[in-house]
Amino acid sequence: MRFSLRSLTWIFLLLFLAATALTGFGIYSTSIATIRSLVDERIAEVSLTAVPRPTGAEQNVRTGSRFDAVLIAQRLDALSRDRDTGDLGFSLTDMAGRHVAGNVRLSRMLPPGFSSVGVNDNIKGLTKGRALVRELPGGLRLTVTAETEPFNGYDRARARIYLIGFGSIIAVVLGGLVLFSRLVSRHITDMRTTVDRIIAGDMNERVPVTGDGSAFDQQADAFNRMLDRIQQLMEEIGNVSNDISHELRTPLTRLRGKLALLLSRVEEQEVMGAAVGGALEDADDLLAMFTAILRIAEIEGGERRRGFAPIDLAMLAGEVVAVMLPVAEESGHALLLEESGPLPISGDAQLLTQLLINLIENALRHTPPGTIVTIATSRFGERALMLIQDNGPGIAEDQRQKALRRFGRLQQGRSAGHGLGLPLAESIIRLHGGEMRLDDAAPGLTISMTLPTR
Amino acid sequence: MTFNVLIVEDDAELAETLETQLRGFGHHCVLAENGQRAMAAVTDDAFDVVILDRMMPVIDGMGFLGQLRDGGHKVPVLMLTALGKSLQKVEGLEAGADDYVVKPIDAIELNARLNALVRARQWSGEESDTIRAGGIVVSPAKYRAWRDGVPLDLPKTELRLLAELARNAGSVMTRPMLLERVWNYDFEPTTNIVDTYIKRLRKKLVEDGGDDPITTLRGVGYMLKK
Repeated sequence: MRFSLRSLTWIFLLLFLAATALTGFGIYSTSIATIRSLVDERIAEVSLTAVPRPTGAEQNVRTGSRFDAVLIAQRLDALSRDRDTGDLGFSLTDMAGRHVAGNVRLSRMLPPGFSSVGVNDNIKGLTKGRALVRELPGGLRLTVTAETEPFNGYDRARARIYLIGFGSIIAVVLGGLVLFSRLVSRHITDMRTTVDRIIAGDMNERVPVTGDGSAFDQQADAFNRMLDRIQQLMEEIGNVSNDISHELRTPLTRLRGKLALLLSRVEEQEVMGAAVGGALEDADDLLAMFTAILRIAEIEGGERRRGFAPIDLAMLAGEVVAVMLPVAEESGHALLLEESGPLPISGDAQLLTQLLINLIENALRHTPPGTIVTIATSRFGERALMLIQDNGPGIAEDQRQKALRRFGRLQQGRSAGHGLGLPLAESIIRLHGGEMRLDDAAPGLTISMTLPTR
Repeated sequence: MTFNVLIVEDDAELAETLETQLRGFGHHCVLAENGQRAMAAVTDDAFDVVILDRMMPVIDGMGFLGQLRDGGHKVPVLMLTALGKSLQKVEGLEAGADDYVVKPIDAIELNARLNALVRARQWSGEESDTIRAGGIVVSPAKYRAWRDGVPLDLPKTELRLLAELARNAGSVMTRPMLLERVWNYDFEPTTNIVDTYIKRLRKKLVEDGGDDPITTLRGVGYMLKK
């Protein structure tokens, strides 16, 4: 069976409270029983001192020297005066229940044998105690009473001691539990905050270590060392791919330069020119691909955040649309802008411009002439919302995730481009603390982006 | 145009490649493998332009640039850097570099940029805001342009494009250079924004007759005839 932490805590608490209460109650009732049996023993002993147990023959004798009322009265008198037994109550009554002798008077007929008496019995000097009634030959009844409480209100005092004692145990345990859970949850929160920041893109974030060498510290330390290692590996991978890109760019650039020179020389020979021109375009595509890879690496490094400045996103979108209008016109697309009021954000104007141009290019490239591409900006609570929508063929739902992956080119004829347009766009949005998603515009594609406003 | 070029680059192989390429365009080159040597060279000789690698031992590119400008040298400087360090571009330009390009750079692009740098120095010496090239006159401050005395009705972007071409008339302007100067973009979009705007500009320029004054150099860029 598996318990959740919450139910385990409750079970533990209830068991602890039950055990504490049972212990308290056990100790209380045992002590009462012990005192009672000790008192019973004492009054029985004193009662026998006053009137020894009658022998078989004496049982039938109505009067006799040993059970003579006067004699017993004398003995009781002596016992009352004795320092040892002076605290006890004695009462001798006759057949009719009349008081014959003794230092206390009974207000009611007590049953023979041991019984409990209380303050209601109106026995002088007794609040709570025990009584022993013996029936003596000749109809005489001897009652001996004794206090079970050493002083008045002892019961209340005892209850208070128990409450304080066991109450403080419960308070200490509950308090400790709360403190302990706070401590644990603080460490967990520390770790979760770190993880959240790392997810948000700051790989330099670490869990705080207090330096007291506790288990939490060791845990945080191990976690931090794991992060160090991951960061190191990521940097190595990043360096490798950067190196590859740099290395490949050099020969490609050379190739491009040669082709361009060749092209200028063979311009007159048209066929040759077309072939070289095609090779030049290929080289340009490859260079653009590596430029995009390095750009993404740069963006994901997060360093460009240093250059963030206040920007009006709505104005920026308007400027980009103005630049792209002639390009859209040339490819036979309509480009519309749905303007909103100012949208102040903090960001990198170059990157956001590149993002918008990229997405508009994407829409122009992947939709047939006649398609309407709409750019809309609006405020959505504390966030700026930017939409790029077209009424073209769209991207099937199962392909959308793939479209965001690097080199995740889609089968359905979206062959142009280097497959890094959307990943680059997403990395730019992420750098700005925003989110980007692809949706069905029915028909067409909607790319929606939200960014925090300033 | 041929220049005296100082190449400050610690990678000997790359420095030699640059030298060979620039010789091909008729320029005269001097090599310096670190900032210290470069400082000595600039004091001894007059250069039209300096090509400066950012990453170098002893005195790095930025250090050299600082010393150069503090010493009152106004020679145009083109800085080279690795890709993926865009912020360095801003720092480089703020420190007094005149242009900033990522390695590797192809020979035609490099030559075009050197030409533009030297030309910009010549322009900055002149008082007038008016740029003349062949029959074309552009006044960027007044947002006006004329061809053979006839006013041209050009939108802002086309006018800035024409001004940039006219300022560098006779030498080629590559697409990245135009994107940087006319649109202020530090990236190259995959569709050719430049091509589209050149097409529109051309249409306006030949509207009232006359030859097409813009030459297309395939795979390289555009040039306005002098």
